[in-house]
Amino acid sequence: MVDMIAAWTAVFFTLGIYSILYRENPWYRIAESVYLGVAVGYGVSVDLLYIRNQWSGQWSTSAGMILLFAIVMIVGLMWYGRFTKSTFYLYRWPLAIVVGTGIGLALRTVIDAQFLQQIVAQVKTPFFVAGNMGATINNILIQIMVPSVLLYFWFTGTIRESAPMKIVEKIARYTMMAGFGSAYGYTVLTRYSLFIGRSQFLLGIPPNEPSNQLAFIVIAFVMLASMIGWDFTHKKTPEA
Amino acid sequence: MTIIATLLQVIPYYFDIQVLKDMAGTATNAVLLIVACATFVGVISVLMVHAKRVQRRTEGWYFSGLIIVFVAIMVLTGLPFAEFGLGNKNSIFNWIFTNIQTPLGGTMYSILAFFITSAAVRAFKARNIEAAIVLVSGTLMVMGNAPIFTNTVPVLVDISLWIRNIPNMATMRGVMIGAALGAVALAVRTLMGIERGYLRGGEE
Amino acid sequence: MSIMDKINNLDRRIIYLLAWIFVLYPLIFPLGLPIPISSDARSWYSYVENNVNDGDTVIFSLMYGTSGMPELFPMSVATMKHILQKDVKFVVLGFWTEGPLVFNALLRQVNPADYGKVYGVDWINLGYIPGGETAMGALATSFQNSVAVDFVEGRPLSSFPIMDNIRTATDIDLIISFETGTPGAPEWLRQWNTAYGVNIIVGCIGVSVPGMIPYINSGQISALMPGLTVSAEYELLLQKPGLAVAGVDAVSTSHLLIVLLVVIGNVAFFMTKEEKK
Repeated sequence: MVDMIAAWTAVFFTLGIYSILYRENPWYRIAESVYLGVAVGYGVSVDLLYIRNQWSGQWSTSAGMILLFAIVMIVGLMWYGRFTKSTFYLYRWPLAIVVGTGIGLALRTVIDAQFLQQIVAQVKTPFFVAGNMGATINNILIQIMVPSVLLYFWFTGTIRESAPMKIVEKIARYTMMAGFGSAYGYTVLTRYSLFIGRSQFLLGIPPNEPSNQLAFIVIAFVMLASMIGWDFTHKKTPEA
Repeated sequence: MTIIATLLQVIPYYFDIQVLKDMAGTATNAVLLIVACATFVGVISVLMVHAKRVQRRTEGWYFSGLIIVFVAIMVLTGLPFAEFGLGNKNSIFNWIFTNIQTPLGGTMYSILAFFITSAAVRAFKARNIEAAIVLVSGTLMVMGNAPIFTNTVPVLVDISLWIRNIPNMATMRGVMIGAALGAVALAVRTLMGIERGYLRGGEE
Repeated sequence: MSIMDKINNLDRRIIYLLAWIFVLYPLIFPLGLPIPISSDARSWYSYVENNVNDGDTVIFSLMYGTSGMPELFPMSVATMKHILQKDVKFVVLGFWTEGPLVFNALLRQVNPADYGKVYGVDWINLGYIPGGETAMGALATSFQNSVAVDFVEGRPLSSFPIMDNIRTATDIDLIISFETGTPGAPEWLRQWNTAYGVNIIVGCIGVSVPGMIPYINSGQISALMPGLTVSAEYELLLQKPGLAVAGVDAVSTSHLLIVLLVVIGNVAFFMTKEEKK
């Protein structure tokens, strides 16, 4: 019985979201509201658990660490200064610390990870690969396309009107369009993969519960019937 | 404060000064706690908006009431007091996560599949040469990801891999290098105190 | 109104209904289409098989929540089954709030105890660490300072034998990260790969794949698992077909629908243009 309630609840909320495909309706609003409430509340649990666990770790080992923990907690409470105008200035302190630390951690290695390594890989790409015409053509294309895209982003304004830049611009735009097509193809794969996963759940395909199937049929029927019935009974008659 | 926090992370990375390294390590762990302390900001923001709607009985106020109820249930049952049976092992908390949040989370993003399908017939048109390139490469990628096509026309796999590894790679590499330079420029501006947009707010 | 105009103005609910039919039909009546194995699946399989050696220590990171489960869960389960066949120690952790509970769902599919792995000796779950990239940087410098207790039993890390030799990023041989966004591969690369030279392999949703390719090309990411179709191929290579294989027929039919609609839409567009001329 408990399992059945669980299955029917999960199916109800899944179909509640999908009901938006027919039109805006109360089933969708219920599911959306519950999702917002649960998602916001869930995050609190894991964060508070982390704070509690940290206290039992290094932060309670000595008087100095306990004092530091107290200071950190006071700084942490300053986040809530953002809710009133008179205390808003307090909110800027933890924000500055967090942003500064994040910038520092990223700044020290971003040059290597996302700049130098990419340039090294680009420079190491040989123009000519002996015995492999396909790889040679591909490498030449990469050596033309990457600088074109970079120049397209870096040089804007009147310099784009010069003849060489017009050629660079065309190559860059066509390269990017082909790249966006690739992104589109993968986006279709992702979104349908998510939908297929939910469909497997609704159909009760193992390891999902087989009882989901009955719940799917019944709840889908009830939701569709209620929406179509409402539309039918509230159809506006044309003015005479 | 931003500058101090940034330099505290950057300097020990390049200079082997043990005191600074220890300070940076402690500071980083302190920042994790500060971030965790912000957990109620989202809850309070949501409650402020929706409590007002319930109080004023605006249209759809009962949905706001539903939000408040579920926020309260999850926060209360998820409090980290395992001694009282609360926390992430609480049965109500787990039941809600497994049977409500999991299906809802998975379903929310899967809806985009339908919108993409609708866009495929209504919006994805070869209006000019650039749109045609996107259309052709996109369609070839879609075909390259589906066994129904790759079994009958095996060369589609090679074509889709080519699109991914050559023009897409070139685009993303160019964007990545540009973005890295932009990130460094933004970081330097923040360090110099020129960029302070993240500190704005509270003026209204 | 001509047929082409009708197509151009088609009620979108009919298109949605077609999407439902094209996905549900092959799930109810499997087509059994053969699944060709791609180079991506072979690279991933080969990397895990040949580069993860006995005695290695691996981070198994679930950087996704319930929204990414349909696409990433099958590859997570398959990779876990592959790793468990080896004599490696692994540390489960994540920087997404829902990661720990997603891992609990994975444990219902794959139990390390069935492979002779003992919790606390061969593997440990450190749970969720808040802070995104900052947390990744903190963890790299000291596991014990960033995480006080484990996620399963709530005991100090020092009480687990596995953590005796795991203190910093230099004690980790490989990161296996399944992710849907930020924090993700770029953050791992900045905090672990560039700073400490730790190898990384990434399983990601399709939307993230284009952004990963430059990292694959430069060798910063050693292998990539791009989406559900390749997960199915990997399951076949492991000879353990699962959720991904069960869903690939639906991937085929749904993609067939997209191609048909694109073709029909463009034919209607061009014929309408001709009529107007």
